[in-house]
Amino acid sequence: MKYLFGLAVILFTFSGVSFGQKGDNYGKGVTLTKKTKVSSIFTTPKNFVGKTVLVEGTIIDVCEKRGCWMEISGDKKGQKIKVKVDDGVIVFPVSKKGHKALVEGVVEELVYTKEELIEAEKHKAEEQGTKFDASTIKSGKTVYRIKGSGAKIF
Amino acid sequence: MTEREKKTRIFLRKWHRDIGYFIAGLTIIYSISGVAVNHIDDWNPSYTITKEMFKADTLSKEFWESENLGNIVMKHLKLEGELKDIFQESDEQIKLFFEGKEVDFNMATGELTIETTSGKPVLKEVNFLHLNKPKKVWTYVADVFAVLLIFLAGSGIFMVRGKNGIVGRGKWIVAAGILIPVIFWILYMN
Repeated sequence: MKYLFGLAVILFTFSGVSFGQKGDNYGKGVTLTKKTKVSSIFTTPKNFVGKTVLVEGTIIDVCEKRGCWMEISGDKKGQKIKVKVDDGVIVFPVSKKGHKALVEGVVEELVYTKEELIEAEKHKAEEQGTKFDASTIKSGKTVYRIKGSGAKIF
Repeated sequence: MTEREKKTRIFLRKWHRDIGYFIAGLTIIYSISGVAVNHIDDWNPSYTITKEMFKADTLSKEFWESENLGNIVMKHLKLEGELKDIFQESDEQIKLFFEGKEVDFNMATGELTIETTSGKPVLKEVNFLHLNKPKKVWTYVADVFAVLLIFLAGSGIFMVRGKNGIVGRGKWIVAAGILIPVIFWILYMN
């Protein structure tokens, strides 16, 4: 029917208005304006646990299957922080490695025993198709990461 | 059959047919993507990621702290393309990022991994829509599509009369279809 065709044309016309903005928003996007340095989070993590922060960095790694986490670089050499999101709620694309990102979320503290850490690293290596040597893990550790609510990827 | 019932069935048939035509493309897109995304535990439904490992010459330690390390490594490995960024994970381990390509190089051992990421033809596009990447207007398009699917289900149930209709064998087929999710709820939902 003609009006169904007309509807398709209208949708096509209006959809063009929404695209083409600089940077792609994921999840709830970013609402904060003040950025927190990743090095600050790692230096005094207790000051940030449970708080919402906005961090900026380069995307270093992305979950290859579900896009349910990514790692972004910090402001110090070799520093990176993991951003975890709920499966399916936000899907970070693997094609965005090396792109700049702004990420907003709550800082979490995860305390791993040695066995839990081995299991987590083994799982990550399986997902990413990389090698993992369990003997490199000598003890448990506390990990700080961001439970991401939104991001802007450039 | 009363005149009103007759008109209702004609109405349902007409709209079932036209809406069926209208959303045929979307149904195919969502179905293909549905199968692809359903197997997300086994593969990335949108991208093909290939990793190749090589052994390259090591890079002298004197360069490891250089401000221009990215370009030095590019030249050392004879890499081409626009370097987006680098990440030096440790003194000897460096990642170089290009569009769709990541180079992971251990400057001390020469271990080199080149990872390329490319979109799967068709699947990347259908998943883009199914997973609502465009957001905004597409969100409403998808909502309308869902409502139209519900209409197709409802009109499909009631538009046929007689022994093949909902009062005949149709009711058993509908019940069988409903039973499938119910069985899974009983078996798997605690």
